[in-house]
Amino acid sequence: MSYLELQHLNKSFEGVVAVQDINLSVDQGEFVSLLGPSGCGKTTTLRMIVGFESPDSGVVRLGGELMNDLPPHRRGMGMVFQMYALFPNMTAQGNISYGLRVAGLLRPEIEERVAEMLELVSLTEAAHKYPAELSGGQQQRVALARALAIRPRVLLLDEPLSALDAVVRVSLRQEIRRIQSALGITTVYVTHDQEEALSISDRVVVMQRGAIEQVGTPEEIYSRPMTNFVATFIGTVNQFNGVLEDSAQGRVVSEGMLINVLPVTDGQFNSGDLVTVLVRPESVHVSPLEEVTEAGKGNHARATLEGVTFLGPVTRLSLDRDGRTITADVSTQERGRFKRGQALRLSFSPEACQLMLSPTQHPERPNSNTA
Amino acid sequence: MRTRNPVGALTIGAFLTYMLVPILATYLFSVATRWDRSLLPEGLTLEWYRTAFADRWFGIVFQHSIILSAGTVIASIALIVPTAYWVHLRLPRGRALMDLLTTLPFAIPTVVLALGIIRLYARPPLMLARTPAVLILAYVIYTLPFMYRPIANSLEAIDLHRLTEASQSLGAAWSRTLSQVIIPNILPGIVSGSLLVFATIFAEFTLATLLVGARYKTFPMQLVYYTRRDGRIASAYSVISFTVAWLSSMVILWVTTLGTRQRGGPRAKTTAGHN
Repeated sequence: MSYLELQHLNKSFEGVVAVQDINLSVDQGEFVSLLGPSGCGKTTTLRMIVGFESPDSGVVRLGGELMNDLPPHRRGMGMVFQMYALFPNMTAQGNISYGLRVAGLLRPEIEERVAEMLELVSLTEAAHKYPAELSGGQQQRVALARALAIRPRVLLLDEPLSALDAVVRVSLRQEIRRIQSALGITTVYVTHDQEEALSISDRVVVMQRGAIEQVGTPEEIYSRPMTNFVATFIGTVNQFNGVLEDSAQGRVVSEGMLINVLPVTDGQFNSGDLVTVLVRPESVHVSPLEEVTEAGKGNHARATLEGVTFLGPVTRLSLDRDGRTITADVSTQERGRFKRGQALRLSFSPEACQLMLSPTQHPERPNSNTA
Repeated sequence: MRTRNPVGALTIGAFLTYMLVPILATYLFSVATRWDRSLLPEGLTLEWYRTAFADRWFGIVFQHSIILSAGTVIASIALIVPTAYWVHLRLPRGRALMDLLTTLPFAIPTVVLALGIIRLYARPPLMLARTPAVLILAYVIYTLPFMYRPIANSLEAIDLHRLTEASQSLGAAWSRTLSQVIIPNILPGIVSGSLLVFATIFAEFTLATLLVGARYKTFPMQLVYYTRRDGRIASAYSVISFTVAWLSSMVILWVTTLGTRQRGGPRAKTTAGHN
């Protein structure tokens, strides 16, 4: 049985549904992120776990124990907030020791634990500083130490890095993961930043409009999105809406373009289904027309280079193919080979294509063959 | 380059004259031998202070006024701090009602308030009429705006919800959250409110006279008594009363600036002087 369990959680605020039928199991020591755009219900879910909100229906269990009727101060859950929420009247040390004093620990034990926590977050020298004298990153590390000092049964973090600048954000998220692994503490982390969620988590829960869209490892979420929302919310993706002409052959026709995908044999799709083919930009290969590329059962097309965006290690190309924009990522070292307005050859393999049923798409009927 | 604006200087000059002349005159009158036949006092003396201090009533009325002021401050804090906290935390709609309620004492004439209180407490079950206790009850109502506003401003200046939740998640129940997290962070507001209330009650005459009268003489009652006998002794009393009020103001300023400086960051705002 899993350690933290959410079953059929529902919550509305004045008739507006915030969370609907959330079911989630988190194992002991696992790091799970709730990821989604603002208003998707991730923070409400977290607040129901810690007890700041009570669910309209459904249960929260921790270690098999029902949490619903326990007030937040009896749940033994450590919480880190977006805006730190440090007590301004106490030093870093005073903040960290607060929960221990509340628990009635003896002074030597409190001092020992505080020193240990300050060392854990590398802030020993800031022990006697007030929150206003600390940088944002330091304040959040104190908040983390404060939450961990009480040895909580679960650590909950609500967008803890959102208020910090980019460099601090990356270093602190690595630190959070390092500390979490070292302590083996069960962690639920709320974020709207997909890169953050993918880089830090054992599993990611993607949410939208109060409901869970997909739960999976970061690799699964990225490579095998189950819904259109997940595919588009996580990273960039090319979408081709069309009809699955032949499931055994893996042929999709989309706006006059034949796309070869892997044969579908699991019965999930049938010939004639309206489908969406998803291809990540890094899976689209681009080469000048004159260069010979290996032939094969891949998908090939001619396109015109419209835009070039430098993204650091990769450069994103926007290609126009008959009025449709296709995005491809190339290594930045290669970008000199391509010029705006140039006709290029693009290709992607059937393995790079992810097939998804598209409930609402009405593609043009196929009117030509290979692209 | 600075240009002098004669209209501005005149306005400020008129304002300062209007505000300061009566106070300076009171000070001067309290040390004047005689000041009714000439433009300036005929001589200076400390006789009126000596007389004031020598009066056996001085110690009694001073003590009574201190007891009433301190009692009102304690009762106000005990009533208003938890109420203001709860309203700000849980009853966002109640805030407008509180704002209205706390301005009512400004709108209700003191005499009406006094009559209402006499009627309420002159019959069972609470036979409190003509006791200092009923005066403190009335004073809590009378000074509600002075205590509530600075506390409310302080509560609005801190991240009340997050601080409360952080404290709860660390295992603290309400009482501890209030005493160890919230109160220390709104302390400048509580101190401002307390001193405003203290200074106001120390100089309060109407309610004290109407509700308790000669049974429990206060400092302002004795002052009024002397205005009918010798204005110079009354002036000495007034100067002592000013001094109490000014000491209170100095403490307000000192505490609020200390609070701002000590932790070097944005702190609870107070409006000590706004009411």
